[in-house]
Amino acid sequence: MISSIEPKVFELISYMVTSACTLLNENRLYGPFRLIDAASRLITLLEEEGLRSKRLKEIRERIVAGQNCVMEDEKVFTDFLQDLVLDLIPLMKDETV
Amino acid sequence: MDLLKAIVERRSVRSFQTDPVPEDTLRRLVEAGIWAPSGGNAQTWRFIIVTDGVSIRRLKMLSPGLLGNPPAVIVICQDIAEAERKGAKLGKEVLSLMDSAMAAQNIILAAYAEGLGTCIIRSFHPGGVQKLLRLPDYIEPHALISVGVPASVPKPPKRNFDIVSFREYNEND
Repeated sequence: MISSIEPKVFELISYMVTSACTLLNENRLYGPFRLIDAASRLITLLEEEGLRSKRLKEIRERIVAGQNCVMEDEKVFTDFLQDLVLDLIPLMKDETV
Repeated sequence: MDLLKAIVERRSVRSFQTDPVPEDTLRRLVEAGIWAPSGGNAQTWRFIIVTDGVSIRRLKMLSPGLLGNPPAVIVICQDIAEAERKGAKLGKEVLSLMDSAMAAQNIILAAYAEGLGTCIIRSFHPGGVQKLLRLPDYIEPHALISVGVPASVPKPPKRNFDIVSFREYNEND
């Protein structure tokens, strides 16, 4: 289990570490974008390793559906992030996964 | 294919199908890049075509802007030493960047004509990519282009056409 997941974790960690460096000189909206993209990648990774969670899946689906508007419209992207956070609240209360 | 139609309809694609892109197609795309104009006809660009899955995964680790799982990536580089030799400071610091951008535009339009999706990426760690691809110090990576059959194509972002002046600059509010 540990050995199979390690390369995927390494990829994700490399992505996050490189992002921390490249974000120093990038569009300020790319920081939030990379964070939610990392969250989405983490959910995918855990799913591939057998974790089943309705609420995590739902979060990832919402991220995938909305994240690319960062390239198109700042207002739409910031509204999307606000809604994403507020939508976590009912999911926090639903622990049935 | 009508050129203006390709310019207008091409989108930046960040989601790809798994179908590989044949090597001769990739060569045609890079040849389109080589036909781009360059400052002082310097042609100091260099191109690296990456198609093996392991190398692309490693490239992705160093390139946060490289989204999706493209079956091919074209790395546009510049021989900075040659650019300086041919074009002095302007050649090294300005023209080489412009030349890479013009080559990139040719490549993405040629790809569109082949039914392929692309995305030009500058969000990567240049030093890391240089080391990973074993580029000498004087070969600098300027842009990555992901290439593949699109899995989805985004809608066109809004364009502002009210930015054109004739004869002299006019501020448009």
